[in-house]
Formats: sequence, structure tokens, C-alpha cells
Amino acid sequence: MASPSAPFANRFAPYDDRTQPAMRVEGYRETLVRVPARAPYTRPATLSDITGPLNLAQKLDAGVSDLSRTPSGERAQGQLVRVCGQLLDEDGVPVRGSIIEVWQANAAGRYLHKMDAKSPFPVDPNFSGAGRCVTDAQGRYEYLTIKPGAYPVPSHPERWWRPPHIHLSVFGEGFMSRLVTQMFFPGDPLNAQDRILNSVPDPAGRERMIAQPVPMLELPRADVLGFRHDIVVRGHRATPMGL
Amino acid sequence: MGTKHADVKLVPTPSCTVGPFFPAHYFGATDNDLTVASAVPGAQRAAGSKVYIGGCVYEAGRVPRWNGIVELWQPDAGGRFNHPNDPQHGLADRNFMGWGRRATEDDGYYDFITVRPGGYEDPLTGATRAPHINVSVMSSGLMRRLVTVFFFPDELANAGDPVFNAVPDPAVRERMILKPAKLDRAPADATAYRLDIVLQGEDETPFFVD
Repeated sequence: MASPSAPFANRFAPYDDRTQPAMRVEGYRETLVRVPARAPYTRPATLSDITGPLNLAQKLDAGVSDLSRTPSGERAQGQLVRVCGQLLDEDGVPVRGSIIEVWQANAAGRYLHKMDAKSPFPVDPNFSGAGRCVTDAQGRYEYLTIKPGAYPVPSHPERWWRPPHIHLSVFGEGFMSRLVTQMFFPGDPLNAQDRILNSVPDPAGRERMIAQPVPMLELPRADVLGFRHDIVVRGHRATPMGL
Repeated sequence: MGTKHADVKLVPTPSCTVGPFFPAHYFGATDNDLTVASAVPGAQRAAGSKVYIGGCVYEAGRVPRWNGIVELWQPDAGGRFNHPNDPQHGLADRNFMGWGRRATEDDGYYDFITVRPGGYEDPLTGATRAPHINVSVMSSGLMRRLVTVFFFPDELANAGDPVFNAVPDPAVRERMILKPAKLDRAPADATAYRLDIVLQGEDETPFFVD
């Protein structure tokens, strides 16, 4: 049936499961008790799936895009890292004005979080490990931080180590483009053993979670390691959001 | 940018678990009160009938899933979204954002204050959507979010709702319907409902393909 809504029909195609993580992950025992036993039901997409909050910045405070220093300027321990990239939809159209939340362990592999209170590693008083940025008119974002340390997954008898990674929470255009993911660093030997990174069956999918090094001469300053990490959220749109 | 994008086909970045370390201070004081559209004190309240929803999230064996995250997304009291994909977005309540977020407590408890959403004629399916709230659950151990929908009791439109009917078993469908309840933390001027979210096991909540 021809209707004004016809262009919406394929805007949010289902994910290709090969490019997304398995829900049950061997050796990651929490998945076994939290993943539903029954396969999910399919439903038609309706308006509440292809819409989402556009003005979240009204509610969520701006946060910081420089995690490497305290508000009063004290520098965190660790290797300075600048991460930049673009937030895009499946057509390569920039997603502008979207909030990206960032959180990570400190250089020693310790989170400033009550769940990490038993960590054997020290807190860095100058590192909160949490930031927020908003994508600009070209969908670009960037933040400055320190390279997170690796750490053993708490209370895991198999001594599974998480490689250095940065958590990302992205809102995108709408309910169906909501994405929570993790960014990994290229060439880290722990990447090959990480149960979370390797829960994505498709090697190309895993590559999409690994940042690309930025040549030193392209960086605005000499004291940082640079990485580029584009993030693609689900969705096809005719025009960039906000027009 | 005036460039053509039509021939570009990118694959979405894989989802990953939110893990156990989502920063506690990311949960703002009014993030679970959808009647407040802005963190700015003195902001206007959303129009509509106030609703309080509370319940617990459980994993297998009815173990509370604490330190999880519940997010909501819903239309305003008139059934409209303040988003350009809604043909009626110009009529949406500017004082209602429709989004909320909440960490689950030690006993798995979550709660939200919101307005009762309006139903709407859905331009994608041609069907009538009953009043409903889209719900996302995130947690360590969940590599992808879980998505379910809350419906309201005694709502005639439920019977024709295409998402409600996507769950064929009426007994399972019932697990998406909010239950009137007396809840200690409900504001006096709100209609209170309870609904537990069971990730796995007996009375498992129906979840949808995301």
C-alpha cells in the first residue's frame, strides 16, 4: 500500500546476528542466568520505535570531554589518549546532537565504582573515569582521557582478563538506534582472549569495536596517543537529523 | 554536508554489555521522573494524568537483578512524540521528553513517575497503538539490551494493538500489563502500578527482537 509512511518501512532493519554478539557467552556465567530462556518475539516497528529523545541534553548534564584532569586541573596518572570519531547511521549520514556517554577504568585497571571496591588496584584521586560528549553538526565527537588498564574480571575463578577498553553509551536518532558498546585498542594481546569482544562471531564485526591509530603528525599535540573510532548506529534516514 | 550518502552501506557497531561499572552519578535526580522534561529547577511539568510504576527486575531463580538499568520511551499524554518522524510532532507536549532511566536497587527495585501515554494511529502499520511504554533493560551479563513493552489494564485498545498481539499466548501477554497496586513510594496524586520484569525463568517477561 502506498502511503506517506512507506519510506519508514525499512529504516530499522533487524540486526544481522553475525555482526552482533551472541547472548550466551561461554565462560561469562552471568549471561547464563540473565538471558531469557525464550527466543524474543517479533513485532512490527511502529512510531514509538523510530522516535526517541532529541533533547536529552536538557536533562543529562553536559559532563566533561576531558577526563584526563580534575575540574581543578590535576592530571590523572597514565598515558594521554585522544579519541575522536564520527557517529553515523547505516547510510553514512552523520547523527548530530547525540549524547555519547563514556566510562572506563583508570590506568591501573580500577573503576571508581562501588562494584570495584575489592579491586587489588589503586584508585587514582585525579581520575573519575566518566565523561559525556555531544556530537557536532558533522556527527563528530572527541574526548581526551588516559589509557585504561587491563584488569581481571572480579571473582572469576578462570582469571579472565579484560583488555583495555572504554565503555560507550550512545542514543542516536531513536529508540531503535540506542547502542551500548565498548571500544578496544588495536594490537593488544588480550583482545584475542576477551570473551566479550570475541562474542561477536564475525571478525569484521569485532574490528568495528577496535579503534584505529591516528598518525602522530595528524594530532594537534605531541603528548597524546590518538585513536579514531567511528560509531555506526542502526537506521537509515533520508536527511541528516535536525533538518 | 551536501554529499550523497545513498550508496554508503555501513554495518552497525556491535552492542556490548553495559557491565557492572556504569557511573552512579550518571543517574540524575529526576531521570526517573518523566513529568520533568528539564533538569532546570522550576521547569514546566508535562500535561496528563500522573502515573507511578514500580517493580523488581529478577534474573533466573527470582534472584534480584540489582545494579541493572531500566530505560523508558513513550509518547506524551496525547499520543505524540517530539520527534520529526512523528507527523504530528508539532503538536507534541514540549514539556514532556518521554525518556527516563533508573538503576535497579539492591532488591531489584526500579520505579518511574510519568504521565499516562496516549494511544495513536500508527503511520507505519495503519494500526491503532494502545497506550504503551517501550522499556529497555541493560545489565552485566546482557550483551544486548532486552526490549519489552508495558501496557495498561482495562484498556480496550490493547486487543487491537499489533505489538500486544505479537505475543500469541494470553497468559504471557498478561506479563506486559501493569497491575494496579498500592506502592509506598507512589506520590499521592499518581495512579500506581506494579510490574516485575523477569529476565529468565517462571513468569518470564516477553521480550521482543531488538
